[in-house]
Parts: sequence; C-alpha cells; structure tokens
Amino acid sequence: MNSSSRRTQVEALRRARPRSRLLRGTVMALASWTLYAWASPEIALGDSLTERRLTNFQNFIREELWPHALRSEPFTFSGLWAWGHGIWNEVGASSTLATLQISILAIALSAVLAWPLSILAASNFATSAPFSPEVRDSSRGKQLVWTAARRASRGLAILMRAVPEYILAFLLLAVLGPRTAWPAVLALAIHNGGILARLGGEVVENLEPAPVRSLTAIGGRHGGLVVFALIPLTMGRNLLYFFYRFETCVREATVLGMLGVVSLGYWIQDARSKQYYDEMLLLVLFGSGLVILADLTSALARRSVRRG
Amino acid sequence: MKNEARLSDVHPLRILSGRRRWWMLGIVCAAIWAALGLGTSPAQLIPSGNGIEILEEFLAAGLTPALDYESQVPAGTAPLWAKVLDALRRTLIFAATGMSLALAIGLPLGVLTSTAWWRESSPASSWSRRWIGRLGRSGAFVFLRALIAFMRSIHELLWAVLLLAALGLNSFSAVWAIAIPYGGTLAKVFSEMLDEAPRDSAAQLHDTGATSLQVFLFGLMPRALPDMAAYTFYRLECAVRSSAVLGFFGFPTLGYFVKLAFVNQHYHEVWSYLYALIFVVVVLEFVSSLLRERVVIR
Repeated sequence: MNSSSRRTQVEALRRARPRSRLLRGTVMALASWTLYAWASPEIALGDSLTERRLTNFQNFIREELWPHALRSEPFTFSGLWAWGHGIWNEVGASSTLATLQISILAIALSAVLAWPLSILAASNFATSAPFSPEVRDSSRGKQLVWTAARRASRGLAILMRAVPEYILAFLLLAVLGPRTAWPAVLALAIHNGGILARLGGEVVENLEPAPVRSLTAIGGRHGGLVVFALIPLTMGRNLLYFFYRFETCVREATVLGMLGVVSLGYWIQDARSKQYYDEMLLLVLFGSGLVILADLTSALARRSVRRG
Repeated sequence: MKNEARLSDVHPLRILSGRRRWWMLGIVCAAIWAALGLGTSPAQLIPSGNGIEILEEFLAAGLTPALDYESQVPAGTAPLWAKVLDALRRTLIFAATGMSLALAIGLPLGVLTSTAWWRESSPASSWSRRWIGRLGRSGAFVFLRALIAFMRSIHELLWAVLLLAALGLNSFSAVWAIAIPYGGTLAKVFSEMLDEAPRDSAAQLHDTGATSLQVFLFGLMPRALPDMAAYTFYRLECAVRSSAVLGFFGFPTLGYFVKLAFVNQHYHEVWSYLYALIFVVVVLEFVSSLLRERVVIR
C-alpha cells in the first residue's frame, strides 16, 4: 500500500469517527463560559497582587503563622512539640473525635435513607412487572402508582443532593439549636443520602436481569425480589459507594463545625475570630490528618469488599 | 460497570457472606459508638423553643418563593430577580475559574501520579543508571502522591479561610480555594482511571515501535478520556455548590444572600436563591447523565 492511499484511508476513518453534537455543544458552552469568567471584572487578578496585600502575605507567613509559644524564644523542637501537644490536649483530641463520630453517624443514617429511595428509583424494579420484558400486569392503576413512586423518590433524591451540606446545616441549626450535633449529622445524612440513592439506583438498573427473572418466573413479586435478589446482588457495590462517600463525609464534618457545632471547625472558627492564626493552622492540619486516615481506611475497606 | 450476577448469588444469606459480613457488622457497631459518643438521642430531634415555628414558616415559604423583596427597599434598587441572577452569575464565574485552574493542576499531576506513566517511560541503558533512575522516580512518585493527598485533605472552605487570612477578601482567594483541593481530587481520580484503562491499544502501539510518550498519549489516554471527562463534569457540579457556599465567608455568591435573607427572616427570598442553585445543579446533572448515556457508554 503506498503512502497516499494510506493517507486517504486514515482520512476516511477520521471522518467516520463517532461524533456527538451534544458533546460538542457542551464543551463549547463550557469553554466560552470559562473564558468569559476569567475576563469578567469579578476576577480582578491585578487587585490580588497589590503592594499592600503582598506585605500582608509576608507578615502572615513570617509572623502570624509562627507558633505563639515560640515567638519570644529561640526555636526548639521540644518547644514546638509542647505547644502543639497543649492544643491537642485542650481542644484538638476531643473535637477530632467528635468530627469522626459525626461523620460515621451521618454516613450510616444516609445509607438508611438512601436504601429505600434507591430501590424505588430504579426503573427496572419500580414497575408493576419488575425485571420482566413484557408487562404481565394489565392493571393500569398499579402501573400509575409505581410510576408515581419512582418519580417521587427520584425527585426527592435530587432535592436532597442539590442543596450543599453547609447550607442545609445552617438552616437546620436555626431549627434544632446548637446544643447537639444533630444539625451537622442530619445535613450530611440528607445530602449524602441523595447521592447514595442515585448511585444505588444505578446499581439496581445495571443488574443482570436473567438471575432475577428466574425468581419472577416462580412467582416472585416485589417484596420477595428485594429480599432474595436486590439485597444480595447490590450489597457489594453499595458498600463500595458507602465507603467512597464516608471519605467525603469526614472532610465535610470538619467544616460544618464552623457554624457552631462542636467539631474541629468550631475551634478553627474560634481561633480565626481571635486571629490566632498559628493555632488555626494547627487545627486545620489535625483535620487534614484525620481526612488522610479516613482516606486510607476507605481505600482499604473498598479493596477488601471488592475482593470478596 | 460490571455486575457478575450468578444464580447462586440469589440467596438471602449471601448478604452476610465473606468479608462483607464483617464490614456490615463494623459499620453498625461504629454507628452505635458514634451516637453514644456524641450523646445524640432521637428525642433531641424535636425542635425546642421557636424552632417548630421557624421550620413551619420556612417550609411553607418553599411553596411560594419570593418574586419581589419582602421588605421596603430604597427606590432604584434592582429587582429581586436581577439580584438572584447576578448572584448566580458570580457563583458560576467562581466555579468556572476555580474548576479550570483545578483542571490545569490536576491533569499533569494525574498523569505524573499514575503508575502507567512511570512504567511507560524508557529504560536507561546501564545497570547503575537504571537504579539511580528508579530511585529518583519512586522518590518523585511518592512526593507527588503525598502532595495531592495533602491538597485534597483540606476542605475548600478551610483553604478559603487560610487564603482569606493571608490575602484578605478578593477573588484570588476564592479561585485558589476551589482550585487546590479540586486539583488534588482530579489528580487522584485521573491517575486511577489511567491505571485502570484497557491496555490493548497501548500494547499494540508499543509493538509497532512507538516511543513511550506516543504509547501513553495515543494508546492509553484516549481509552481513559471519556471517564475522565465525565468525572470532570461531575466535579464542575460540585464546584458550583462549593462556590455557592463560599458566599458564607463574604464572597458575593449565592450563599452570601441565602445567609443574609435567612438572618433577616425573609424566608421566601431564601427559597428564591435556593431554587436558582437547585435549578443549575439539576440542569448540569441532566446534561451529564445524557452525555454519559450517549457518549461514554457505547
């Protein structure tokens, strides 16, 4: 084959490649919005780098981030350790523990919230004839009820995940008061419940229908299918998603304290309002350590679940 | 997504099979421990004081979001819908700038932290050089992995708080607050996707004598690209939410106005802002699911 015929062949292949107008349109729209955003007066990069800001920044790095206890004396590691250990004992340990507990309780609750929603949102299950190619049940009333249930649970899950945790917690705090950890726990549970419901619904929809049909063939209906097919078949993947969201829950739980619930964020906000930036940075790093630990746990759990 | 469904799986006791049993048991125990440790009881879920009234009033306001201001405003103030749209525009501006910067950070870091990249790079000639190269490479690999773990272990709002303390209130702080943790997350997920992408075309290119860079760019990248694009789109949706929340820290995005309206007890106005946010998130989610259906899965 000579090179020119090869070139025309490559050209023909290139022209025949799959193209999507939807994809092109989306990419174009996003690219032009991004260009507009960078050019808009709201992103005033010149203003960010003024003389005053740069001096402030230097002061911040050199002085304000320097541990308070070490400002009047020469640097020693034992002094640094004593300072950090003191903050850890005073507020760090208890609030790091509270952050972890908030996220564990929240992710467990969100799984409980998401589970029924995910099953009701799956289009192959929430019909009058689940997992069947033909509509066995001719009752239109039943079909309507299932469709309504499916739409309602999908809509609810969308609403749950569309509002950010932080705003949810802010609203719940006004209703429930700051005495307990519930506003943070509920806010995380609602938002993550919405996400887990969607992911769980996709797991049900992607199930291989053949094994489930063997149950409908012998008379299995909704209740039986849930117990004998859906729970066992979706458990593995749902656990993967559970641990994946747990990781993000820990990050969020740290921050929600800034609204007034006692997690790490509460003390970060406290140090911030007193302008103790050295202490603030240390508390942020405690949170970072907790998140990295949760990350590792989650990765370990997912690997173990995947293996069997 | 692959589900290996076998007939033998269809048994209720399979729920409690293998390791899953221990993880389930662990989750239940951990949840009980957490509830006891926090001292949360369901009884505390009943709002006290005027909590019930706030809840009722707030939820009722959800049915009738405000179309106009709930209180007197000075003459000449822009109408509420214009204010909502402007807040939304600013929210999307911070989301887009933050996200594009995150992509610029995350893509190279993602390539450099994938094991596939290091495997494809060419072997050095002599024995000693190979070992020095291997040591240097694994050092760089560990350092970059640690760097992206650190970047995403600090929440975007905490980056915002740190940057606000260092630089004061300006757009720069908001953009970097989103870009740093999102860049780390993109890098981690991209590297996993590159490592899990099918290797068949890469192997074929390698066998026809392509250089390692060519193998990576034309054999491996295209196989991982649809997944990477889909994930980037999902993170954009998250960036819109994060950008809205940055308003709670003084940036002029949706969160700022939600907070202000709620504190002033203008619950109908709160819902106008919330519906604007929900609308954008739902549209983005709809487009991303359409794209995944039509483009990614083929």
